[in-house]
Amino acid sequence: MLLDTLKRLTSGPRPVALLLVLLLASFYLLSGAIQNTALFGRLYSLLLAVNILALLLLIALIGRNLIHLLQQYRDHAPGSRLTLRLVVMFVVLALAPVSVVYYFSLQFLHRGIDSWFDLRVEKSLQDALELGRASLDGRLRELLRQTRLAAGELVPVPDSAAALKLNELRQHGEAAEMTLLTLRGRVIASASMDPTAIIPAMPSEAVLQQLRQGLDYARLEPLGEVGMHVRVAVTLPALEPGAEARVLHALFPVAERLSLLADSVQETYSQYTELAFLRQPLKYSFTLTLSLILLLSLLTAVWAAFFSARRLVAPIRDLAEGTRAVAAGDYDKRLPLPGRDELGFLVRSFNEMTYKIAQSQQAVRLSQRQAEEQRTYLEAVLGRLSSGVLTLDSDGVLHTANAAAGQILGAALEDSLGQPLQALPGRHPILDQFVDALLPHLDPAEPDWRAELVLFGPKGRQVLMCRGALLPGIDGSNDSEQPGGGHVIVFDDITTLIQAQRDAAWGEVARRLAHEIKNPLTPIQLSAERLRHKYLATMPGADAEVLDRATHTIVQQVEAMKEMVKAFSDYARPPQIRLEMVGMNRIVSEVVELYQTEQRPISFDMKLDPRTPTIEADAGRLRQVLHNLIKNALEACGPDGAHIRITTHCAEQTGCRYVELSVCDDGPGIPEEMLANLFEPYVTSKPKGTGLGLAIVKKIVEEHGGMIWVENMPEGGACIMIRLPVKKEKPRDEAQDTRGED
Amino acid sequence: MLLAGWRRLLSALALCLSSLPVHAAGFEVHAAATSLEDDAYQLTARIGYRFGDEVLEALDNGVPLTLQLEVEVQRVRKWWANETLAKLTQRHQLTYHAFSDQYLLRNLDSGELTIHPTLGMALSELGAVDHFPLLPAEQIEAGEDYEVQLRVSLDIEALPAPLRPVAYVTPAWRLSSEWYTCSLTP
Repeated sequence: MLLDTLKRLTSGPRPVALLLVLLLASFYLLSGAIQNTALFGRLYSLLLAVNILALLLLIALIGRNLIHLLQQYRDHAPGSRLTLRLVVMFVVLALAPVSVVYYFSLQFLHRGIDSWFDLRVEKSLQDALELGRASLDGRLRELLRQTRLAAGELVPVPDSAAALKLNELRQHGEAAEMTLLTLRGRVIASASMDPTAIIPAMPSEAVLQQLRQGLDYARLEPLGEVGMHVRVAVTLPALEPGAEARVLHALFPVAERLSLLADSVQETYSQYTELAFLRQPLKYSFTLTLSLILLLSLLTAVWAAFFSARRLVAPIRDLAEGTRAVAAGDYDKRLPLPGRDELGFLVRSFNEMTYKIAQSQQAVRLSQRQAEEQRTYLEAVLGRLSSGVLTLDSDGVLHTANAAAGQILGAALEDSLGQPLQALPGRHPILDQFVDALLPHLDPAEPDWRAELVLFGPKGRQVLMCRGALLPGIDGSNDSEQPGGGHVIVFDDITTLIQAQRDAAWGEVARRLAHEIKNPLTPIQLSAERLRHKYLATMPGADAEVLDRATHTIVQQVEAMKEMVKAFSDYARPPQIRLEMVGMNRIVSEVVELYQTEQRPISFDMKLDPRTPTIEADAGRLRQVLHNLIKNALEACGPDGAHIRITTHCAEQTGCRYVELSVCDDGPGIPEEMLANLFEPYVTSKPKGTGLGLAIVKKIVEEHGGMIWVENMPEGGACIMIRLPVKKEKPRDEAQDTRGED
Repeated sequence: MLLAGWRRLLSALALCLSSLPVHAAGFEVHAAATSLEDDAYQLTARIGYRFGDEVLEALDNGVPLTLQLEVEVQRVRKWWANETLAKLTQRHQLTYHAFSDQYLLRNLDSGELTIHPTLGMALSELGAVDHFPLLPAEQIEAGEDYEVQLRVSLDIEALPAPLRPVAYVTPAWRLSSEWYTCSLTP
């Protein structure tokens, strides 16, 4: 907390501005100090040191800034080039005028200082000094002479009476003080103009020394506050031989006006010579002060350049960084507002922009999440549907396929998402029929359709109930003229349902038929046999023959009806199917063999493909199918002979392996009106047929997952075609089996 | 013109910094001793003052010189820094009086003024320190060792302001004696 406050107070422009103000103040004091004003004069050295120290600090500060800037420049930091350019520009702008001012200031300064000194003034002062000295020299000599006379008068005066005489002489000579003393400096007597002066002004040791050498002393002396005086000291001859020599020491005041003039001349001369002597140091000092001020101005300009450039470039740098952040996908970047100027407006606009982008991103993310949730929801719903659902876009590309669709179609559709519908058979050949059946319906002109598709695949015959609809477009339009968002196709595998319904219906029919017909048959047969047994022997020949024929017919027909009822019963309640791997070729061969002994001329034309694989089927039922078909063919051909072509082959269609069996005759063919429901019970063109033969065949084929259809051959005759699915395991077994048969 | 001025300044500075004056100027305490008079210790010392030409020129041109005598009385401690009991200074101002062609020596502490016809006389007067009172006798404890340190120096801060920067960087102006030590004896 304290550190933060300290850092805040010592950073930014405030401390530097304060430093500059202090520096300017100290410069002002410094320039005053050079004028030798008493207070400033005392502070001069301190001010100089403070200023130099402050300048060094400023240089260090700028140096640090410069190093930092150069480092940023080398690192290609955003804004560093602009900052450097601004700094250089500011420095150049500041340096040029300051240098010019500095140059001319120095010129003026030196000339100004030089102009203070004039040889004539100096000479005048010298002359004034000489004049003053000369004017006092006469007085000095006069006073010396006067003192010597007084000394002569004192010579005979003994020490004891000297005071009185001395005072008299002092008054006479107008001396300020007269002292009689020995050469060693012992005072004998003294007389002073100032009655309060107790201690006389003694001559210095140097004066006494001069007197000891026999030289009198007379000199003008500035005695400070009391003004100029003339000091005269002369030696007195000894009073008696061997006695100590005495000295008369006298102080004469200089006339006040003369003293003042002398002081003035002395002071002026002294000041002038001092100033003249200080001329060069003064120039140095002024140059130093001016240089310091120049340096301060320059460094201030440099620092201001750094500061301004940083202030100016900071928002630009922020903007550059912000732009980079936005480019990198960080839309939460907010920049600090630099102020209310144009840059501030720019930064505010940038912040608004990023805010709006961030909001849009947020909305997009939200929408995506909602869409994802919806998609997941739909996927979950679709996944749980027992119906297959496919969606195609307007270009026929598969978009969605639920699990049920894959299960029903027997193909993994997940890896085909994004593929065009037409391309699906390439990946899954099993879908060929399905796609072919769908394509005619995928017409924008048919917005809603329903169709029952019959497919033949590895699972055998499949009946799909399909419903399709156009999906609304992205804009919600469902305009048939403009392709919308594609198609949705929903389909159900109703094979088992149809089979079950049909089985149930026919089972009921057969059960009722058996119940209604079979019950009266036995009494009819028994009654007929009883009639025959009772009356045949008793009746005459012709009647007996009639009876015999009639009862025989009844019994025969009842038997036939019983057979028929049994057949119905079998149809309604078929025995449990027993599946095993059987070879179709072998079954065909076995069954055909049974017909070789027929009375009628039958020719079988068999084309059995040895590559036909085994199939999983109930061999007994397959034989029944073949029997029914051959019987059907024989009946169609009539009693005059029959030519039956039986072919088996293994063919691959749409990737599904199956065995195709065809039984063709050369009969009259199937009437067109019967072709549609030939395989329904009770449909027959033969006078003696039960109408169940082909129905049973169809039932067995469908129980095996197969498919049956009939075709009239162009050259005459009919062909019953059966396709039975092949399990994919052991494809070679049948081949070996078939080869064994051949 | 400006360049010439700078050149002169630089050459003057270089001269000042590079060489001492030929005639060795300097201050030296030749001798010092203490005595006990009237229950007070007093210092007597003899000091030699020699000025260089620059200083003499300045003096003759009316620049007053302030000379400072610093005296310290210390109690000697064996295992610790000496304890300073008294710090005394005496300042004299020496000026040249052109009108009378004499040198004035003023004791800045007492205000006493002496006038000397020659500089030599003034300096010998200045160099004779007699009866300089140090401290009362009662401050001195028996059994302890005491010593007196003294030195004299030219006070650059008392020079006119324009001369000070030059004086600080010129050896001829930085005049000071070594510390002279004598024991405090009665």
